[in-house]
Amino acid sequence: MKQDFIKFPLHLIFHPIDAFWDLKSDNRGRLLVAFAALALTIVMMILQKQYAGFLVNYIDPRTINSIIEIATVAVPFFLWCMANWAVTTLMEGEGKFREIVLATGYSLIPVILVYAPMIVVSRFMVQEETAFYYLFNSIAFFWFVLLLFIGMMTVHQYTVVRTIVTMVLTLIVMGIIVFLGALVFSMLQQLYEFGYNIYRELIFRT
Amino acid sequence: MARTVKRWLVLLAAVSLLLVNAVPAAASPAPYESYNYNYWKEAVPSPDAYLPERTISGRDLGISEFKDPGDVNVSPSGLIYILDSGNNRIIVLDPGFKLLSVIDGFMMEGSKETFNLPGGLFVDEEERIYVADTGNGRVVVLDGEGTLIQTITKPESDILSTQFQFQPLKLTVDHVGRVYVVAQGVYEGIMQFDESGKFIGYVGTNKVERDYGEYIWRMLSTKAQRAQMVLFVPTEFSNADIDHKGFVYATNIDPGSNEPIKRLNPSGEDVLKRFGYYDVKGDIRFRNNPGPSKLIDVKVLGDGMYSVLDATQNRVFTYDDEGHLLYMYGGKGNQVGTLKTPVAIEQSGEHHLVLDRGKNNLVVYEPTRFGARVNEAVALHYRGEDTEAVNIWREVLKLNANYDIAYIGIGKSLLMEKKNEEALGYFELGMDRKSYSVAFKRHRREMMKEHFGTFLTAVIALIVILILTRVAVKWRRRRQVDREAGFH
Repeated sequence: MKQDFIKFPLHLIFHPIDAFWDLKSDNRGRLLVAFAALALTIVMMILQKQYAGFLVNYIDPRTINSIIEIATVAVPFFLWCMANWAVTTLMEGEGKFREIVLATGYSLIPVILVYAPMIVVSRFMVQEETAFYYLFNSIAFFWFVLLLFIGMMTVHQYTVVRTIVTMVLTLIVMGIIVFLGALVFSMLQQLYEFGYNIYRELIFRT
Repeated sequence: MARTVKRWLVLLAAVSLLLVNAVPAAASPAPYESYNYNYWKEAVPSPDAYLPERTISGRDLGISEFKDPGDVNVSPSGLIYILDSGNNRIIVLDPGFKLLSVIDGFMMEGSKETFNLPGGLFVDEEERIYVADTGNGRVVVLDGEGTLIQTITKPESDILSTQFQFQPLKLTVDHVGRVYVVAQGVYEGIMQFDESGKFIGYVGTNKVERDYGEYIWRMLSTKAQRAQMVLFVPTEFSNADIDHKGFVYATNIDPGSNEPIKRLNPSGEDVLKRFGYYDVKGDIRFRNNPGPSKLIDVKVLGDGMYSVLDATQNRVFTYDDEGHLLYMYGGKGNQVGTLKTPVAIEQSGEHHLVLDRGKNNLVVYEPTRFGARVNEAVALHYRGEDTEAVNIWREVLKLNANYDIAYIGIGKSLLMEKKNEEALGYFELGMDRKSYSVAFKRHRREMMKEHFGTFLTAVIALIVILILTRVAVKWRRRRQVDREAGFH
C-alpha cells in the first residue's frame, strides 16, 4: 500500500527514466494516485490564490472562483490525455490511454510538493525575498514539464525528437478539439434557436 | 372588530404615506457623482469633496456679461483676475467676489492700446499682470493699476524660422520674473523669456509617441502616399502653472499619452512623481465616455497638491505630490456645479474657481468636510507631520471607508512610531506592498529577536530527543538480535 501510493510516486519524480518504465512494464502505476495528484494540484492552485502572502498575491479576492479553478486545471488535463492519445495512436505510440493518464498525473506531483511549502513560506517573505517564491514556482513548472516529457517518451517508447513533435502536435490537437467543441456548441445553439423560432411561428400563426 | 382593524390599517397606511413625504430623501446635493479609483482600477463612489457654492457672471457684478472668458488667476494677495477675452478686458475682483476694477486697455507710447482676443493671464507677487495677447501676438505686462511696464513681442532668435508667428496662449511667471509661454503651433516646448523679455529657449519638449504599426505602414508606402500622411510631431502644451519652488507644471492634450501632466525642473526634465496605483492622467477608465481625459489646465494648490481640468468630461481631478488621485468633482451639464466648456481652474483661499466659457460664468466650489479633511491631512503629510495627520486620516476614513490613501497615511505614521504589526494591517488595506514589506521586515526581525531563545531551546530539545530515540531503537534492535542469538 505505502509502497505503491507514496514511495513509488516519490521515487518517480527523482528517477523518472527508471520509474516511468517500471510504471509501464511492471504495472506499478495506480489511477487513484494520478487522480489524487490532479485533485491536489487543483487544491494547491486554489490555496495559493487564497492564502499566498500579500506581497506575492496579486489576485483580486473577489474574482477567486473554485469552480473555474477546477476547470482551468482539469479540463486541460483531460484534453491533453485525449489529444495525446489521438496523436500517438496515429504515430505508433505504444502507450495505452490509461498509461497516458498515469504519466500525466504522476508528473503533477512536483507541483504539489513545491507549492505547498511555498504558500506557507511566502507569508513570511519580504519584498526582496519574493524572488525565491517565483524561482521555486518556476522550478516546479519546469520539473513538471520535464517529467511529462520523460513520461511521454517512456510510455510511448519514442525518441527525443519524436516526443517533442508529438507533444507540440498534442497541443495543436487540443486547440482543434476546443475549436470543434465551440463550433458544435454554437451550431447546437443555433439549431435550438431555429427550432424554437419555428415553434413560435406555428404557435402565433394558428 | 374587523372594521376597527381595517380602519386602523387605513390610518396606518395614510400616516406612513405622510411620513414618507415628510422625510426628504437623503441625496447628494451635488449635481455630479463623485468617485475615486481603487487598486483594481474600478471607479468607487466617494463622498463629494467639493460642492458648488455659487456662480459669478457679468450681470452679478453689475457689468456687461462675459464673452468667451479665457483665463482666471488669483494673485498671491488674493485678488481675482478674470480675463474676459471676447470683451478684451480684465475684470478684477476682491477675495469676496466684489468688483474692484475693469482694465480694458493701456497706454502705450501716447496712444490707447487694447487687447485682441487674449488667451491667458498671470499675476505675480508684485501684482504685475502678464497677459498673453494672442491676437496681437505679444505678451503685455501691466502693473496693478493697468499701466504698461513692457511688452514681449515676437522673439528674434537663430533657432526660430522667419515665418514664425508668435501667438501666446497661456503663460506663467516664476518669482525671478522669467516668463513661460505656451504658444500656438510651437511643438518644441514651452517658450522661456527672461525678466527683460529676451527669449532664452524652450523647456520640456513632449516626446513623440512611436506607433510601430504606423511606422511599418509608412515604410511600405510610396513617396506620394507618404507626403499625404500625418506627420509625427510632438504635441503642444495646453497650459502651465508654477509652484513655489519654481518648477513648471504643464499639461498637454495628447489623447494617447500616459503622462499628460509634467512637472519640469529648471533643465526641462519631467520630475512629476507617479507613485499611485495608476497613471496621472485624469480618468483611467472610460466605458461609455468619449475617451481619455483631455487636460487643459493645471493649478498648483500648494503642499504638493495640484488640480487638473479635464475638457472631455468637464471634471477636475486633484492629485497629491506622489501622484495619488485625491478626489474629483464636476461633470457635464447645465446645473450650477456642472460645466459646459470649462477653460481654467484657480484657487482662492479654500475655494476652487472654474471658469466656464460655455456659460460665461465663474463657478465657485467650496470644500466639504471630507474635502477639507483630505486637504489638511495631505498637507500635514507633505510637511512631514505624519503623527498629526493620523487623526485627520481617521476622520477621513469615517467619512469614506474606501479611501486607500488614508490607510496608507495611517500605516506610514504607525511605521514611524515603530508600531510595525499595526501598520501591516493598514498597508494591506491600502494595498501598499512596498511599505508593507518594510513594516513586515521590521516586524519579523523583532519577532525573531524576541523568540530566538525559545526557538533555539526547542531545536536543541528536538535534536536531543531525536538522538535518544535513535539510540533507543538501536539498543532495542541489538537486544532483539542478541535474543535471537540466544544470549538472554
